[in-house]
Amino acid sequence: MVVNSVRFLLFFIVVFTVYYLPVSKKYPRFQNLWLLLSSYFFYGVADWLMVPLLIGATIVFYGLGAWLKSEMRKRHQKNASRLTTLGVCLGIGLLLYFKYLNFFAESFAELLSAIGLKATWTTLSIVLPIGVSFFTFKLISYIIEIHREHIEPCKDFIEFATYIAFFPTLLSGPIDRPNTFIPQLRRSHSLDYVQAVDGCRQILWGMFTKICIADHLALVTDSIWADYSSQSGSTLLIWTLLYTMQIYTDFDGYSNMAIGVGKILGFNITRNFNHPLLARNIAEFWRNWHISLTSWITDYVFMPLNIAFRNLANWGVMLAVVINIVLIGLWHGANWTFGLFGLYHAMLYVPLVLSGSFGKNKKLRPNDHGLPKWTDFWKMLLNYFLVSLGFIIFHADSIADAFRFFGGILSTSLFSMPSLPLKKATLLFILIVLILEWTTRKKEHPLQLPTDGIFRYMAARYLLYAGIGLMLFLFAGEVETFIYFQF
Amino acid sequence: MERQEIFEKLNEIFIDVLDLDECNLTDETSANDIEEWDSLSHIQLIVAIEKAFKIKFSSLEIMKWNNVGEMVDSMLQKL
Repeated sequence: MVVNSVRFLLFFIVVFTVYYLPVSKKYPRFQNLWLLLSSYFFYGVADWLMVPLLIGATIVFYGLGAWLKSEMRKRHQKNASRLTTLGVCLGIGLLLYFKYLNFFAESFAELLSAIGLKATWTTLSIVLPIGVSFFTFKLISYIIEIHREHIEPCKDFIEFATYIAFFPTLLSGPIDRPNTFIPQLRRSHSLDYVQAVDGCRQILWGMFTKICIADHLALVTDSIWADYSSQSGSTLLIWTLLYTMQIYTDFDGYSNMAIGVGKILGFNITRNFNHPLLARNIAEFWRNWHISLTSWITDYVFMPLNIAFRNLANWGVMLAVVINIVLIGLWHGANWTFGLFGLYHAMLYVPLVLSGSFGKNKKLRPNDHGLPKWTDFWKMLLNYFLVSLGFIIFHADSIADAFRFFGGILSTSLFSMPSLPLKKATLLFILIVLILEWTTRKKEHPLQLPTDGIFRYMAARYLLYAGIGLMLFLFAGEVETFIYFQF
Repeated sequence: MERQEIFEKLNEIFIDVLDLDECNLTDETSANDIEEWDSLSHIQLIVAIEKAFKIKFSSLEIMKWNNVGEMVDSMLQKL
């Protein structure tokens, strides 16, 4: 059930109504129970065979959390460490089994064949449970944060289960941490009008970028990729630049919709994108792109590695970065292309680590005219270009496929006129998004309208919303399930 | 070693590693309070502290700290 569908709207109206009934608000536990049941229903519609898996994993980790805490109270440090490791292994194990088992086994069989040993692997038909990459990360995070004494385990099972299964973010994130999310489940929620309206605006914006830009771009890029060997180099180059825009508007759109739904229910869901197109280097990019994933892997993989390698100076940092970012790549799927994608990004980090500017968070200051400085602007363009090249590897079916595509760009036809079936309206929308990326960079989303200027008039605001609504209506083609659903 | 002594020495280390003009750490100080204190310099600080005080922290200890006060508590246990 995609968020931008009538089915979801009907589902959500029911959820919302019961959630905010006068009687519900008196009992946070009832509100959580209702959310939990709604979430399991939501998951069941997406993948009913996997509901037992979700419930089972939730029960196991709930018990593990309680057991871990009791060992910590008794100061049994070794047992506590062992239980934490068990939790991490179980979570990763789930992910490895469903996502990567066939990949590892096939790759291993190929390796054996390459050195002359006969090996075949009958691909198991393992169905990938939707959302597994996201909820396993929440489960693991819960155990680690208990071990680091940053949270207490949940006494209330409903509370914990609701955190894991929370339907706005269950299928495709953002990945919330227990530290910030679980406390929100402990209070009862009354309708916060201001927050709910902000949520609606955020959903509207998310729908706009997804439906009016991403979905159309997907049709264009799919058709060109299907036949890339007969396209001109210039077309392929434009493809490259458009594909990044497609992924961004798609995933940012989805994240905004999820966060907006959360706001209507009174929850603050963690942010996933913070104007990543303004990034001036690769470190800044990953700090602002798919933030919930990057920060998860940074906190639980990079920091421990960095600490373990701390006496290796720059080599230690580089090694930690490489492992970190290759894992981010591989998280996306079971293909060597994702590993290479990660490695490519790791190479882009090398100059930053060597110059020591890797961890620095330099503020983005406008020039006297309110525009980005020239030096910053060129860096943004370069970074966008480098990131776009990486996404070719991300999109390809195999490494050879990616290199064929690269070869296709670097041909003499690079200087011919590109030809893409791109609607003028889509180009206009992309331009709008690019401009807003800069002008609304301090806002969470562009529809957090300024209270001065023309938008202080209700009529102006509603005209804008209606205009966007009209665009949605005109451009709603087939509902394209978005790219990150397969993760 | 006294707590106050540790803080004085830490101030010097922070000034050196983070290239600060001055530093006045308190129990509540955390990375949020000092702009130059990022993830990379965090590790450099730890290496410098371990060297200066001739102690070794475990990874878990380091990841538990929420502020300088908690770090100093860990240090006192080792000194």
